[in-house]
Amino acid sequence: MKAFITPCLLRFSLAAVLLAILFRYFLSHGIESHITVLIVLVSFLYGVGMFSAGWYFGKKDAEFLPIFDVGFRFHLATYLVHNVVSELWFVGGFNSEYEKVSVIHVTALCWGIFLLLHLAFYLRAREQTIRGLHKHDLFE
Amino acid sequence: MTNEKKLAELLSSWEETYKKGQLTLWVFLSLQEDTKYVDEIKSFVESKSMGTMTCEEQSLYRVLRKYEHIGILNYELRKGHKGPERKYYRLTDLGQRLFSEFVKRNIRLFYAEEIKSLLKF
Repeated sequence: MKAFITPCLLRFSLAAVLLAILFRYFLSHGIESHITVLIVLVSFLYGVGMFSAGWYFGKKDAEFLPIFDVGFRFHLATYLVHNVVSELWFVGGFNSEYEKVSVIHVTALCWGIFLLLHLAFYLRAREQTIRGLHKHDLFE
Repeated sequence: MTNEKKLAELLSSWEETYKKGQLTLWVFLSLQEDTKYVDEIKSFVESKSMGTMTCEEQSLYRVLRKYEHIGILNYELRKGHKGPERKYYRLTDLGQRLFSEFVKRNIRLFYAEEIKSLLKF
């Protein structure tokens, strides 16, 4: 478990929660008020924000312990955070009246297929590791 | 290019390749004497290798974290002379066995009479 959930992954998840909440807030507001520019802008900024957070914390994570996971842990965290926050957004009734929860479910399903593919790559990569560290990167 | 300059360049190039993978051996050697904290390991490596091996403190920490993670090192926290507690590292049983096997297979062969004579000791 130590080679899966690391301090940097937890920090990234917290940043992702914050970004996802901001995204949902401005998205719902944009949809409710029919402001297309806001919808496009917030989606773009959300993507850039998530990518930057992943880049920053991923780099820090590798500096701390170079876990060879082909990016799967951060992808899984992003998937879980985005979909849980989105689901709770609807459960809490914060969504716009024009938003449908089915969109969240379809997105989670399609994204889930890619995540499963990524999982297959991750499991294959793990064969080249000892406790999550690449065999060729153990000794210096 | 003079022969001396060429020799220095070739030696430097060979040593650069040769040193890859040497840090582990030096770290393990340093822990044969006693438990040590990072500064002591660094000093040992640099002084006993007569300056041919150098290591940044940050990269040493990274290396030690990896070895701890795979179970060949562990540490205990002890009070330093001044300031916060220090991590004193030592080899685990697995680490000690790994070191012994490595030395048997890769170092001891240099002590065979035939090889020693070839090395012109």
